[in-house]
Order: sequence, then structure tokens, then C-alpha cells
Amino acid sequence: MGLASEHVTRKRPLSSEIRGEQSSIFDLARGRLSILSTFFIVIYIVVAARVIDLSVVQGALMKVQEASPIEQVATQSRARGQIYDRNDVLLATTLKTKSLFVDSSIIENPQAVLTELNKVIPNLPQKKTLAALSSGNRFDWIARDLTPEQQKAILMIGEPALGFQEESRRVYPQGHLASHLIGYTDVDGVGLSGLERSYNVALKKGDKPLKTTLDIRLQHAMNKELAATMEEFRAKSATGIIMNVKSGEILAGGSLPYFDSNNINAANDDQRFNRMTLGVYEMGSIFKIFSTAALLNEGSEMGRMFDARKPLRSGRFSIRDYHAEKRIMSVPEVFMHSSNIGSALMGKDLGADKMQAYYRNLGLLNKPEFSIQEIGNPLIPGTWRDINTLTGSYGHGIAVSPLQLAAAVATSVSDGTYVRPYLVEDIQKNETDVRVFTQDTVDKMRLLLRLNALEGTGKNALVAGYEIGGKTGTAEKPNPSGGYDHDKKISSFVSIFPAKDPQYLVLVLVDEPIGHPGKGSYGYATGGWVAAPAAKRIVERMVRILGIKPFATEENSDFVEPILKYIEGNDKLAHAN
Amino acid sequence: MNSLRNLTDPHDWLYRLKQINVGLLFLICAFGGIGVAALYSAGNGNLDPWASNHIMRFGIGFAALLVVCLIDIRIWYRLSYPIYIIGLILLVIVEIKGHTGMGAQRWIDLGVMKLQPSELMKIAVVMALARYYQSIGVEDSKRLSLLIVPAILVALPVGLVLLQPDLGTALMICMAAASILFMAGVTIWLFIGGIIAVVSAIPVAWQFLHDYQKQRVLTFLEPERDPLGAGYHITQSKIAIGSGGIEGKGFLQGTQSHLNFLPEKQTDFIFTLWVEETGFMGGLLVLGLLLLIFAYGYWISFHCKHAYGRILALGLTVNFSLYAFINISMVMGLIPVVGAPLPLVSYGGTAMLASMIGFGLIICCNVYRDSKLVRM
Repeated sequence: MGLASEHVTRKRPLSSEIRGEQSSIFDLARGRLSILSTFFIVIYIVVAARVIDLSVVQGALMKVQEASPIEQVATQSRARGQIYDRNDVLLATTLKTKSLFVDSSIIENPQAVLTELNKVIPNLPQKKTLAALSSGNRFDWIARDLTPEQQKAILMIGEPALGFQEESRRVYPQGHLASHLIGYTDVDGVGLSGLERSYNVALKKGDKPLKTTLDIRLQHAMNKELAATMEEFRAKSATGIIMNVKSGEILAGGSLPYFDSNNINAANDDQRFNRMTLGVYEMGSIFKIFSTAALLNEGSEMGRMFDARKPLRSGRFSIRDYHAEKRIMSVPEVFMHSSNIGSALMGKDLGADKMQAYYRNLGLLNKPEFSIQEIGNPLIPGTWRDINTLTGSYGHGIAVSPLQLAAAVATSVSDGTYVRPYLVEDIQKNETDVRVFTQDTVDKMRLLLRLNALEGTGKNALVAGYEIGGKTGTAEKPNPSGGYDHDKKISSFVSIFPAKDPQYLVLVLVDEPIGHPGKGSYGYATGGWVAAPAAKRIVERMVRILGIKPFATEENSDFVEPILKYIEGNDKLAHAN
Repeated sequence: MNSLRNLTDPHDWLYRLKQINVGLLFLICAFGGIGVAALYSAGNGNLDPWASNHIMRFGIGFAALLVVCLIDIRIWYRLSYPIYIIGLILLVIVEIKGHTGMGAQRWIDLGVMKLQPSELMKIAVVMALARYYQSIGVEDSKRLSLLIVPAILVALPVGLVLLQPDLGTALMICMAAASILFMAGVTIWLFIGGIIAVVSAIPVAWQFLHDYQKQRVLTFLEPERDPLGAGYHITQSKIAIGSGGIEGKGFLQGTQSHLNFLPEKQTDFIFTLWVEETGFMGGLLVLGLLLLIFAYGYWISFHCKHAYGRILALGLTVNFSLYAFINISMVMGLIPVVGAPLPLVSYGGTAMLASMIGFGLIICCNVYRDSKLVRM
């Protein structure tokens, strides 16, 4: 204060009395004020420019940058399409999950982070994870498809280097059921097998779910029975197909051992192998359906006789019967007793060209079209010799997939035009159906199959009230060192019902069953003792699931009456029924 | 004492009321209104917890403004040094036993409100300097020896504020003081020399900075250095402003702020919230209001017949503008994060009261622009 008043005293004369100086003071002050304002206006312009820069210029740039990831998310978030069975039971769907990655360029203590992660994620590969944590890379996966609980626990670690990426995980609620047909995807959602692969593009679009012809209830029943048979006969594998004979719809199909599509990494090659469509086998006697039908279609009578008294020799080969009747047999007898000699003679009668033409029309010689891509090429003789015609008539020297076999059987008993098997509606139809057999031939084949089930090798497949018809097949497996292995068989059975006008087909194939002396098979491992009972149990379960009422009694043999006359000792048979 | 009788028109209240700048009051209300709207939005469309308090504080502040602007300027002139000294004492009290907020001692808890003496000190320093330059003549301001008192007047509060530590406020006091000295006529060479000195002192000063201050400066220079840590605020703020675009996302529609990407959205980063929601247009509205307020203060200062009023009006205008500019520049990444609120808009009691008292004094300078102040 003292200092200030001293100045005031000294300055008093100058302060206001002198006008000129007064104005100069004002001028100075106002001049400085102007400079100051200019300074502020400059700042103001800078700030305003920055507002424009951030909100308009950079904002526009940001929107451009933002737009693409958002669009990506939008397209990605349309999840892979779902797959349903014929009753809208969910077979495959997509769930959103979180996957963990690390930006190890900003990580401080990889070991500590690893310790924390170990508490949350079990079985982390320690070396690999630590390498990822300390690599210095901006992006490395740590673990994929984490649960929300795990994600929360990892967030609680509070490590900024850890981040999550939303991913989709394909889930198969039915587990192993029909897994060979439904297939599976890789972690990036690309279909690798089954319908997931063949319909990958459509499923990726995700706009429409994929509806299949499968009936997961039947699939379950079939798998159960195949598994029981496999266990009972200690077989290597078992394959089954349930098919609508009229339409070609596959209701159930696949092979055991199976895999769970949800955990594909745990499955070995044996489990992944789709024996139904990719595996090809010599089918044995079931092929007699085709050779017999071809012969009848060429105009042969049921009463035509074939001499099966002694093995048939052709060059160095000799054809024998399992259950040799050693007599001259009619067509129904050859079929019923499953005589290889008789069938070979039928084939000989038919000729190589006609047999090939029929087999080709039945889809046995070409790789078939189907709703999935895992389709095996049939093994057919490079050059068709006479012996091939003979063996081909009873299902040897030619290997086809169970799918091809089922389609050919269906063709032989439905209306004589080729029945194209399918899993998804779209592939079917609009195809000019190839007529293979006349209606008369088909009618006769229905009779023969029914007769075989009643009186021949298929008795074990009968289900009271459902007019089962069927045919066994027992094929010796080729030995890698040449020839056939008598102990290794593929035992099969095909059931059709109701035989008068077949609607359904059930095919069972058992690979290398071992006959056992216990209840059941009396030590036999043939189709009639191994596959036929399995087919029977499948049909029993199937009719209950589908609610099919019994429509005939076993006593009613009117249906097979027309051909009984061709069978030696038919009085006995009639009485037996 | 006798100066009280020298009023141009001492008893004509009507005349004084007429001198109150209604336009400036309108601008202040508009600015405060933006604050209420922004805080309403910050509360996710609720008056609680911020907007209602802001309205109340604005009301109290507005009443204080009216009272302050009608009190005879000669009373303020006489009270300048005492207020300054009270401010200093409060700063010392804060230093001894203050309430620590956000890692820095800045508050005195008065029970009803938390007082931030450094806010009041910004006004007190201006008043003290204005008083000093009124008491000496402008022509003397060029004498370097007469810089000793202003230097002490500035250095004491700046030192105390730095101890808190509050670098931002300290710098703002210095800048406001510098603009006052400049206007008071201190030779330009001093400023040029001062700038050179400051620049050359930066390496030394760096040693004395707190870690968080160093972080802020380093992060300002390279925000991407630590986008999740020290650079987080400014990165998020820039994203939010940029995402607003020209027209903004719409009132209450700001995603960055409402989803809490934006920290401190109700205080320091309120401008970001506002621009995100109202866009570039809203940002320019704030800047426009700011420009008009500055022009008003400048006009008042320009037409004031006494040095005290001239310096006080301009000093306080500069104070307000600096605050606003620093806040806006900060949230846009033009300058380091210093922790300065946007006056009248940001949520905060003391800052609001200080701003209103400041405007009260500016208007007071207009009301009493013709008063004859006796140098003491």
C-alpha cells in the first residue's frame, strides 16, 4: 500500500489534468486491447477450425472407416442357416461365442497372464500359449469358443492385452445322430462334410433354414439297433438306411462307429468314414433281386428251371451254394434258397450286355447323385468278362455303396422307374425317370421278396402284421492277398414293407460279424442271422414311431399264393402258414 | 474514502439498472442453458443428478451476479487487496488441510459446498492487478521496477496453486496476468523475453512436473502412445466429436457419452457430449456465444473510463475466454489435458459461482464505467 500511495502522490499532476497525455494513455490501452483481441480472435479461429476439423472432416473420414466393420458385422451376424429334420427338429444351429486373442505387443508380464488364464481355461497348451503371449505380435489366438463365465473371469483379470472376438459356433443338438449326413464345419464356419459341405453356400447366406427328409426319431431307433447288433456280433461296423420307397426320401442313414459333430476333433478316421455313401462293398445275395428282376423283365417265366445240382465252373472259377439244395430249381426257389449257382445261371441266360444295361439303369455302375458329396465310386470290372456276369448276378465282383443298393432295391419294388435317393427336396424331381422294370416285373419281385421273408432266408426279419418282404446278403470280404476271406463277411438284409405295395425300405449292413453260439444266431454270421433280426427290430420300432397300424396277418398267405405252385413241397409250406 | 461522493449519478438506481448489459445477461443465460441441456443429457435424460443442481447453482450465481454488478465499483476497488489476501489465506488452508479430490488437494469443505479457493483466486488476482495498475499510471507501467509488485501478486497464488498441485489453474492465472500486464502497457519486449525464458525453462520445469503431468504432456504429443490409459480420455473425446458430424446424433442420442466411453462427461468433457449430440452446428453455437461474450467484455473494457475497470473487465473476460478455450482445445486434442472445466456448462459449484461473480464484476465495470476512481 505504501508503495502504491507514493506513486499516486508523485503521479498526481500527470494523471488527468493534461488532456493530451490522457488521450495517449487511452490510445495505448486501447491499442493493446486491440492487439489482445486480435490474439484472441486468432485463438478463436484456431479453435473453431478444430471443431470443423474434428466434427466434419475427420468425422466424415471416421464414418467411412466405421462403415465397413459395421457392415461386416451385419453380414457376419447373419448366422449360418439352421438344419431341420422333416418334423422341424433342429439338427444344426449356430450360437454366438467369444474367442480370446492376445495383443502381445502391449503385454507386460506374459507369465503372470498365463498363470491367470490357467485358472480360467483348463488344458491350455502351456508352451504354445506362453509363446503367443510373449511373441510381440498384435494378434494371436489363445482360446476359442469360450463360455460367458470364462469370458467374465478373463475380463476380471484386467489385462488390456487380452481381447475377445465374437465368433459363431456350430452346434448339433442331436449329437451323433445322422452326423455323417449332416456333417460338420470348421471353426470358421465352412462346411467340411455332409449337408454342411454340399449346402455350404446356401447355409452361409443364412436366409432360409435347410429342411431335410431325415426323421431323427427313426435315426435314433436305427442307431440303437445297429449298435446293439454291432455289440452282439462284435462287428467292425454297421450301416443302416431307412428310405421311403416311393419318393426316395432318406429318413435315416449313417454308419457306426459314429462321431459327434459337436466334437469333431475327438473323432478318428474310422468314425468319420461314412460307410453309407462313401464305402463300397460287394453286397452278395441282395444282388439276386436285380438279376432275377432283369431276367423276369426279359420275359422269363417264374417256372423256369435252373440246374443247381453241381457247382458251376467257368474257367478257373467255381461257383457254389452255401446251403446247397443240389437240385433243379424254379426262379422262386433260387431266390428263396439264395442259390448262387441258380443266380449265376440266370446271369448267364441274361447275358453280359443286358446285365450291364440293367445294372446301369439301377444306378449300380455309376457314381450316384446325392444330397451330400461324400459319395464313393462303385468298383466295377475294368473289362466285363463272362465271369463278371456270373458273379455279378449274386453280388460279387462288383462293389457299390449301401446308398446305391437301397436305391436299386427301391427301384425294383416301387413302380419300376429309378428311385433317386435324396436328403433335401430340391435335388429331386424334374428328372426324366428311367424306367428299368415293367410293373409286372415289380409285382413279381414283391411276391418273391415276401415269399423269401415268409419261407426263405428272411424269416428272422418278419414283423407280424406288416407284410415284411426282404432279402439277405452274405458276402465274403476280399482278402488283401487275393481271393476271398471265408471268415470275414459283410452280412446284410433289406426289408421292404408292406410287401403288397412297399412304402418303406430298411437296409442293414454289418461288417465282419462274429457268429456266436449263444441265443440268436447258433454260431452263424450270415445276413439272415445277423442283419435280418436287426432289420426286424428297426421295423418294430419304426411302425410305433410312425404310428403305422398292422394291415395284414401272417396267416393270410393269399398274397404269395400265385407263386407257391413253383415251389417244391408247397403243400408243406401252405400248411406251415 | 471521499471517492464515494464523486459518483456521476450516485443515487439514480434506475440509471444504474439501465447500464446493466441485458444482452450479456442473455448470452450468459444461453450459455448456462446449454450447460443444463448437456447435463440433462449426461444424466441420460434425467434432471438428477446434475442438471437440477446446475439450474440451482446457476440461479444462485445469477443472483450473485446481479448483486455484484450493482455494488459500487469503488467498493470493489477498495476491497481488491483484502479479497486477494483472503484468497491467499484460503489457498494456504487448502494446502494445510484440504479435501483431496482426484489426487489433488483443491477443496475446502464448507459443509454446504466444497469451495475451491483457486477458482476465487483467479478473480482475486485480476482485481489486485487492476487495482495496482489503477494506482500507478499507465505510463509508468513500462518501468521494469514497477513489475516487482505484480510479479509478487501473481507468484504467490501461482506458487500455492502449484503446490496443490494444479498446473492448469496456475498456468491460467499466469496467462490472465500476462494479458493484464500487456494491456496495462508493459513493454512488448518483456513478453518476447518472457516467452523465450519460458521456452528455455521447459527442460528444467520438466523435472518438477508430477508424473501424471508428464504423462499428460507426453500423451498429448502422442495420444496413441497409451490409448487405453492416459490417452484414453482424449482419444475417446475425439472419436465422440468426430462421430457427431455436422448435425450430431441428436439430443440424448450420443452413443459415446451415454455408453460411458467418454469419461468425466459431466465436467471437463461436457463439450464433447454436446458436440456429439448436436454436431458441428452445436459446437459453433457454443463458440458463437463465446465470441459474443468476449466481444461484450472487450466493448465494456474499451469504453471504461478508468484503468481499474478497463483492466478488471478485460482481465475477467480473458479469464473466462481462456477457461473456455482451454477446455474446448483440450477436449479436441489441441492442447494437453489440463483439467479445466467449461465455465457455466460443466458441472461444478465453485466454477459456476466464480464465473458469475466474474461476469458481475465485468457488468459492474460497465455500470460504473464513468466513476472517478481516486488512486490510493
